Amino acid sequence: MHIKRFISLFLFWLLVAFIVGYSLAPFLWQIITSFKPSNELSSIPVTYWPKHFTFSHYKELFQGTRNFPRYIINSVIVGLSTTILCIFIGSLSAYAFARLQLPQRGLLLRIILSASLFPAIILIVPLYEMVSRFGLANNYLALIIPYTTLNLPFTIWVLTSFFRQIPTELEDAAKVDGVGRLGLLFTIFFPLSAPAMATTAILVFISSWNEFLLALTFMSNDTARTVPVGIAMLGGRSSVYEIPWGSITAAMVLTTIPLVLVVLIFQQRIVEGLTQGAVKG
Amino acid sequence: MKRCLLSILLVLALVSAFSIPMWAAEPVTISILMGPDNTGGWHQVISDFEKANPDIKVNLIEGPSATNTREDMYATSFMAKESTYDLVYMDIIWVPKFAAAGWLLPLDKWFPKTQWKLFLPGDINGSIYNGHIYRSPVQSDAGMLYYRKDLLAQAGMTPPRTFGELVQISQKLQKPPGLWGFVWQGKQYEGLVCDFLEYVWGSGGDVINKSNEVVLDQAPAVEALQYMVDLINKYKVSPADVLTFQEEESRRVFQDGHAVFHRNWPYVWTLANMPDSPVKDKIGIIPMVHKPGYKSAATQGGWGIGISAFSKHPNEAWKFASYVSSYETQKKLHFLNGIIPTRQALFSDPDILKESPHYPDLYKVQLGARPRPVTPRYGEISDVIQREVSAALIQKISAQDALKNAAQAIRDILKR
Amino acid sequence: MKKRGLSDVQFGYLLILPALIFIVIIFLYPVIRNFWLSFYKLDYTAGGHLGFIGMDNFKNILRDGSFWSSLRFTIIFTVISVPIEFILGLVFALVANTRFKGRNLVRASILVPWALPTAVMAMGWQWIFNGMYGVFNDFLMRFHIISFPVSWLAMPNTAIFSVLFADIWKTTSFMFLLLLAGLQSIPDELYEAANIDGASGIKKFGYITLPLLRSSIVLAFLFRTIQAFGVFDLIWVLTGGGPGDSTKTVSIHIYNTVFRYLNLGYGASLVVVLFIIMLPFALGYARIAWREE
Repeated sequence: MHIKRFISLFLFWLLVAFIVGYSLAPFLWQIITSFKPSNELSSIPVTYWPKHFTFSHYKELFQGTRNFPRYIINSVIVGLSTTILCIFIGSLSAYAFARLQLPQRGLLLRIILSASLFPAIILIVPLYEMVSRFGLANNYLALIIPYTTLNLPFTIWVLTSFFRQIPTELEDAAKVDGVGRLGLLFTIFFPLSAPAMATTAILVFISSWNEFLLALTFMSNDTARTVPVGIAMLGGRSSVYEIPWGSITAAMVLTTIPLVLVVLIFQQRIVEGLTQGAVKG
Repeated sequence: MKRCLLSILLVLALVSAFSIPMWAAEPVTISILMGPDNTGGWHQVISDFEKANPDIKVNLIEGPSATNTREDMYATSFMAKESTYDLVYMDIIWVPKFAAAGWLLPLDKWFPKTQWKLFLPGDINGSIYNGHIYRSPVQSDAGMLYYRKDLLAQAGMTPPRTFGELVQISQKLQKPPGLWGFVWQGKQYEGLVCDFLEYVWGSGGDVINKSNEVVLDQAPAVEALQYMVDLINKYKVSPADVLTFQEEESRRVFQDGHAVFHRNWPYVWTLANMPDSPVKDKIGIIPMVHKPGYKSAATQGGWGIGISAFSKHPNEAWKFASYVSSYETQKKLHFLNGIIPTRQALFSDPDILKESPHYPDLYKVQLGARPRPVTPRYGEISDVIQREVSAALIQKISAQDALKNAAQAIRDILKR
Repeated sequence: MKKRGLSDVQFGYLLILPALIFIVIIFLYPVIRNFWLSFYKLDYTAGGHLGFIGMDNFKNILRDGSFWSSLRFTIIFTVISVPIEFILGLVFALVANTRFKGRNLVRASILVPWALPTAVMAMGWQWIFNGMYGVFNDFLMRFHIISFPVSWLAMPNTAIFSVLFADIWKTTSFMFLLLLAGLQSIPDELYEAANIDGASGIKKFGYITLPLLRSSIVLAFLFRTIQAFGVFDLIWVLTGGGPGDSTKTVSIHIYNTVFRYLNLGYGASLVVVLFIIMLPFALGYARIAWREE
């Protein structure tokens, strides 16, 4: 009996080790690679721990003609703008859906949610037409507006269900005090749902940071590029045809460590937020 | 209500503040997108130009080394009618596509026909579309065959002229895996088409004949493709790895002394004769081999400068383009970057001849270089050829079927 | 009492208006416009003028061998990756739903693949699968699973494997999240009651977990199928669709058609086909997921 328990416990922990290894190993490898000097990168067989640690690849990213710092700035600006816009507009809608009995509520909600079902490739041709017609290529708005749109369904869904859980007594009390409808939004809903909004904000920011297809298409100017596209395009420095793995992994690590840290710290809330959004779908 | 309005205005202000366009606007700055400037040669040319033209600044945007990617970057910018790039550093195969799409300014008024004969005919022809010239040629390229003249001399052999001779000599001299007979570019990419066409033309075949019919599925082309397949699988003079080679990979094998023959562009000569090269002074170049009774063929490559139709400074852009195409600058770029010039006179320039005694031979090859199919849809056609040739090389389908598919697809593309 | 301003309903519509505007401009209008464009010729290699050609674009799709092979690969890709990521995701979710010390750390690690940008990590996978210096080869060779290095991204079959491997690695995270939600909504009392009755782990799983998880599973499959069918980022960066178009998906073919071949009308028709394929899954999802709304 004890042996059976021991075996199942052992297997369980083996499984846990597999899960953690599976999830982290590929990324850890990038981190290790980024600290290896170039000659060690092409050593055969592979060294699993750097023989010599070097920061040269990281330094190289900020040198001279590289636009790497630019990519980060662009991603931050687009990400923050998208997040602010999305949360703001999303919470207005969420309030309306949660509290105000609107006819056609179901239909309107469905229309909004349908935008989250299809991959962005569906929209690429007409969106490109619009960007071209309004001269928005290489303009932050060309990304901010679509990103906001694509994140609104999720945002509205999560916030709506959260707002609905807020007890009506609080609103009734505030109404008695003469607070207007909009005032309710600011004095009650926003503060009380700060955690949910913060979590949703993190998720929107991550989604915006990671987006690739639209960023690739609309930002052709290197100074306007966002991080994922910038990294995917890092050209060879030493030879025309070589790919600089040291620089690429350094860039990867630098731009994803913040994401990973945020995810690790807010892990609980993020899972809650995502599973909330996933509960009904 | 007021607070609400205020916050809406705040958000709008934030958003519009961030919508300020990304490029810095300085008085007459013209921009051009190129690959990485590894030698620093282009930066030097630009700084010399700016010294001579103090009112113009040239912004060199270094993009990725993959030419396909840069082509896409230009395309997405031009499709959006953007003026990010004033100048286009163009591969010869981009000319018809960019010109047909209306993205390039015709250069006729600055670059009249009388000047065209100063340049190599292949490069000029590759810069013309529908009777107008759209590109000022800067550097030329033609495929050629490098060989280890030391190994051949040792064995008392003369350089090959035909497909068969190449195989014979390779089989006699090679000692795989340390020394292979023949390395080339067999990966699925644009370079594969360049290699492939040299065999097709050298067998008397073509993609599209003079009557505009697609003849890629006819016997000469099929034979040519079969020859390539056989190099790896039947004659075994090429390692299977060639299927992963682009220019650099194959060059490294040859330059490290692991191959007798090597098909590549002229740039290899300079690198293979550098002091630290294992094959320094041991190599020679000859025109590509061909089928007996037919002529040797070389694929025409090359780069030049065009002017964007959306540029706000076309006159300044032309100043730079003509500066780069000038005799002096091409000569400078030759010594800095090893480019093959496009001006015919440079092939008899004494300084160049002293440093590159093989240039008279090179000149002959360049004169005979042939362009890939000249059509705005070349990209699509190239993708078809790449795909089918690659499938035949990995022996997924027969050479005959591969070219049958390719010819059919190309007919459809052209009919559109 | 004076009725100030808007009624509740009018006010509500006003609040929803901004979101609706965004959705209409960025989603509804493009979908409709795309349908419209698919009946037109818009080809920059032919001057770029708009011309009505009816069903011609769609007729061309029938003869487009490149499209059909990309469709075939996309289907294979979807059919293989979704079930595997589901099984892995389910196992991960079951483990993460169990109470044990260090559970938070495990949950956090599972989130890491989800958090990393797909395109950026695809570069990382290129490095891992590198033929000469890649760690994947080294790993396999050390365990004597292969005897000499494999050029993973250079040959079709191995490239397909690499693409699937990299994709499943990331999407397991998604499945994990989708299924964890469902798992968490199963009341503990059910398990406790089963424990009292002395039910084994497998019985609990079969009689409690699976049935109650059913709608989550269906939704996860539907959602992930749509996403897998439209996969772009990973493959575009990892292999570009090569070698030999062996890993080219429908979305990559669409991208090439629009931005390399400059044939926007035809590209729009390809999008229509893709959309039609995805539609049944989307409708199924909408019906189940948004039932109460």
